[in-house]
Amino acid sequence: MELKELATKTRILEGAGYRYSFDREVYFNRQAKKAFSVEFVEDRSEDEIEQLIRDNAPSTNWRFFFVEPPSAAVERELANILG
Amino acid sequence: MEGRTVEDKLREEYFEILPEIRAVCEHLEAEIKYRVLPISHSLDRFERIIVRSRVKECESALDALRRRQEGATFDPERAEAYTLRSLKDLAGVRILAFPRARLGEIDAALRNVFDNWTEDPVLGDNGEKLAFKYWGFSAASNEISGEYQISMLTGLFWEVEHSAIYKPSPQLRGVVRSPKMREPIANVLKALSAFDEEFELSIQQPL
Repeated sequence: MELKELATKTRILEGAGYRYSFDREVYFNRQAKKAFSVEFVEDRSEDEIEQLIRDNAPSTNWRFFFVEPPSAAVERELANILG
Repeated sequence: MEGRTVEDKLREEYFEILPEIRAVCEHLEAEIKYRVLPISHSLDRFERIIVRSRVKECESALDALRRRQEGATFDPERAEAYTLRSLKDLAGVRILAFPRARLGEIDAALRNVFDNWTEDPVLGDNGEKLAFKYWGFSAASNEISGEYQISMLTGLFWEVEHSAIYKPSPQLRGVVRSPKMREPIANVLKALSAFDEEFELSIQQPL
């Protein structure tokens, strides 16, 4: 993937209040309770990512946007780490 | 045993296989130095070939395996699915050569010996080859693979990156791998590559 394209997606996510976890390699937003893996961000289009960011369906649980959906155990682990 | 994490299991595995990793590393280094010797003997005064080997450290191996998982997280319910033996670079040898013309020569000499090893070149963001890289099994072990890499100055950058950042603080590996750091790293590699090329062209001119 083009570096410029990745930089644009990073700007979109950061502009929407997402931070990057260097340890888990995901973009996450505690208020929105959403996390995007780097693989997912690389794989999907800017439009798709923007749409997922905009989707404000209320959720008390973390939502993980991964290329390969994580198992329940990994979701629990990440939810604990991301807070 | 209850309460053991995936990391605990992998640490135990690491120390079980450490003697074998060391054996692979020593074997690989000796074999490569021997095969490169005829080229080393024919070098001009300004030319260099440096062969260095290293055994991947325990925490670095764990971290590398963890970062292979999406979300850089082990699934605690699939602990048996993870093994450090899947890492190709537990034992690694780096060959640094100057000038660039020597790289192909070294590569050809080693390909004769490691002819069944798998090519896995290090590529830049534009698909250009930054280093020759191969992995495979040696006579020292059929369970632990080894890896060797042949590069020019770019290899020195990776060594600096490793000794200055990863070794003292392995957790900073994630910073260097982050999307934001990819562009500056690509720029450093591009600059080193341009230096290599220009220097090589210059020394070919008559004095």
